[in-house]
Amino acid sequence: MTSRRNFLKHMSGAMLTAGALPSAWILGSTEGETRSIDVPGEEGMIVRSYRFLDLETPVEYFDTWITPVPHFFVRNHMHEPSELDPENWKLTIGGEVEKSLTLSLTELSKIETHEVVNTLECAGNGRSLYRPQVPGVQWGKGAVSTARFSGPRLRDLLQRGGVKPTGKHVMFRGLDEVPGKVPPFVRSIPVEKALDSDTLIATHMNGAALTKHHGSPARALVPGWIGAASCKWLTEIRVLENEFDGNFMSPGYRFPNQPVKPGDAVKPEDTHVMTALNVKSAISGPSEGAKVNGSKVSIHGTAWAGEADIAKVEVSTDGGTTWGAAKLGHQQAHYAWRLWTYDWKTPKSGEYIVMSRATDSQGRIQPATPEWNPSGYLYNAVDRVKIRVA
Amino acid sequence: MSHSRRALPGLLVVISTIAWIAVACVPPFWGQSAVPPSAKATEDLPAGPRQAKAATACLECHEARIILQQRLSKSAWTKEVDKMTKWGALIDPSDRDALVDYLSTNFGPDQPSYEAPRTSQGKTAPGKVSPGKTTHDKNVVVR
Repeated sequence: MTSRRNFLKHMSGAMLTAGALPSAWILGSTEGETRSIDVPGEEGMIVRSYRFLDLETPVEYFDTWITPVPHFFVRNHMHEPSELDPENWKLTIGGEVEKSLTLSLTELSKIETHEVVNTLECAGNGRSLYRPQVPGVQWGKGAVSTARFSGPRLRDLLQRGGVKPTGKHVMFRGLDEVPGKVPPFVRSIPVEKALDSDTLIATHMNGAALTKHHGSPARALVPGWIGAASCKWLTEIRVLENEFDGNFMSPGYRFPNQPVKPGDAVKPEDTHVMTALNVKSAISGPSEGAKVNGSKVSIHGTAWAGEADIAKVEVSTDGGTTWGAAKLGHQQAHYAWRLWTYDWKTPKSGEYIVMSRATDSQGRIQPATPEWNPSGYLYNAVDRVKIRVA
Repeated sequence: MSHSRRALPGLLVVISTIAWIAVACVPPFWGQSAVPPSAKATEDLPAGPRQAKAATACLECHEARIILQQRLSKSAWTKEVDKMTKWGALIDPSDRDALVDYLSTNFGPDQPSYEAPRTSQGKTAPGKVSPGKTTHDKNVVVR
């Protein structure tokens, strides 16, 4: 009888579980186990959207200076190109140039290669943390990753065409497929940034050819800037007299000129196009809600600042009353994040708010509260996790 | 009577077992392989009188998960619906207000947050590490 009662109890639990879940596909999930979707080449990533694909890097993966490609966040605005044939792929360079060019992938590969380790972050990273909430992909903290990108300098390509004095902006167009009447994902950057020796037409990431999710066969790589500047599946570069006029320059990817009261509307003329990233840090461990024990706990994470360098990272274990300096990792590059650790001699048992705060070489410091804006861009408030010491 | 009352728990076990097996047998058959259970690749919109029309309007271009994760006020949903109509969503003007109601009822600011699934784990995933330690600190941090 006892075993039958236990069996009944077990089965009714299973039935309840099955009923509460949206699909039998996920039956078998046990408590604490995450439902999973098979996306080849993408491992353990948070699925914000499957069609079109948007994948977030879990913060616990922020413990390597270079993010392995299967852990590198994916942001697609549209559908990925359904057909990509590297043999027939062409890149055109036109507009305000003396001579228009068309390059094949083979021709592109013969141009001198340059390498940049860059932390790429989506402008909307952290959007889900704003209150009131705003529309868009509800990124947590992980629409940011770091890779070693390589390919020819954009400058070398532009100089082959010869930029006319009238050329002030450089536009990128990708091969992504536009659904409905959605405006194409086309943006531009100022010619000064385009001619910077670190701005690339990247064909490789961490030493391997770009994967499709990351813009194969070639993408723009605009280091230190919001991810949207680094157009994927690049097929056209056009030098323009003026900033490109399109949805993803305005009203998209703009930030208010002045602080905004949360929830308020902002007039388009009171905004500016976003360029470089903010100063920011993230705690990769212990995780939110973790239970820790031992005489010493290593708090660790990463910090980045776009075009600036990280000057220091501080950690608080008392909810922001006192701060101590974290040790910065020795691996560094101009546009790359710095890993950091902070050894915390564990005090009494109880709940603690652990916080991290970065300061950069320009004197920028992470604010205690985020700067709310209607599209939820550039979230960079002091990071925090709540943990329990046993 | 007493006999049939005694038989009732047994009957429940049988019904529960059959139902459970029926659900569990939907492919992929969990239990036959070591592959973790999968979530559906794309989500569905919640049931309701506007589900079909919302599906026609929204899911042509993107999956439902992008909607399921929003937590917006009615005015914010109105702006989204109007933007998407401009971008080609098939919404009859007479359905606009009902669609906004459907979205703001199901995905308003007070709803619990949407829990996103993950992609399957692979070889490069960090192993389970004890709290306060990482797999890579020793290689990276100046001691």
